[in-house]
Amino acid sequence: MAGDQNRERDRAHTHDDERTRRADVRDTYDRIATHFASTREYAWPEVEAFVETHATDVDTGVGLDLGCGNCRHAELFEAHLESVIGLDVSRGLLETGRKRALERDFDVELIQGDAASLPLAADAVDVAVYVATLHHLPTRAARRASLDDLARVLAPDGRALVSAWSTAHDRFDETEGFDTTVEWILPGGEPVDRFYHIYAPDEFEADLTDSDLELLEWELSSGNCYATVAGAETNDEPRFEDR
Amino acid sequence: MKESLLDILCCPLDKHDLELEDAEYDDEEVVSGTLVCTECGEEYPIEDGIPNLLPPDMREETPA
Repeated sequence: MAGDQNRERDRAHTHDDERTRRADVRDTYDRIATHFASTREYAWPEVEAFVETHATDVDTGVGLDLGCGNCRHAELFEAHLESVIGLDVSRGLLETGRKRALERDFDVELIQGDAASLPLAADAVDVAVYVATLHHLPTRAARRASLDDLARVLAPDGRALVSAWSTAHDRFDETEGFDTTVEWILPGGEPVDRFYHIYAPDEFEADLTDSDLELLEWELSSGNCYATVAGAETNDEPRFEDR
Repeated sequence: MKESLLDILCCPLDKHDLELEDAEYDDEEVVSGTLVCTECGEEYPIEDGIPNLLPPDMREETPA
């Protein structure tokens, strides 16, 4: 009995530590937001190709840029979808997204949120990009929770592109997945550490396969893993027990 | 945020619907207000037009 209580308490502590570490990622990007966004001018070609393939026949749909940063990928959606959501943990980055949307005259609904506990309804999203964000979540549990939550909000016939940095990149010698920090150098020369989990390609594939997402295809490109996935069939009953 | 966004927003903790309270508008935009979970009662602020739907323990400002 006491053992159970201890385990409960340990679990609660682990949970708190993890949330704190996820909040650390928020603080890091708040700190570097303006400079970071200024170096993220252009959409990635892999994302452009995904949007061209999967966002063209859903005019009435909802698009989600998960980990939107300055909304350069939300901007790609805007021509194809009825509404576009940009979600990021960092308020500072969301402000750079708002500025870009004003300057370039595109519509995006901005939400501050956590990729591992999405504030979006089940099956609400038709097309999503989750690019260069998953690898900032500090634990495997959080990364898995995030993939499962993406499966929940993505419609069963919806599609998402998930990318993460991988050991296949030239700068890494490792072959196993590992945790590290990568410095961001602010204009004054001040370094700011950013947490990364660098995925081994087979680890990325395994995490996607084990998640509630349906893995359709994946590839390596420019040192990143890219997966095209579909949402989960909604099995659980809507929780309307209070009505 | 636009009020229509409420159709697809939910509480990040228990995924139940949210209700908008104390809203202030600028044209169609909700510029401030509070989103309240209809199940757990947790409150999420809308700050200068952007809803802060971080789980509460990720929301607190870190001392500078």
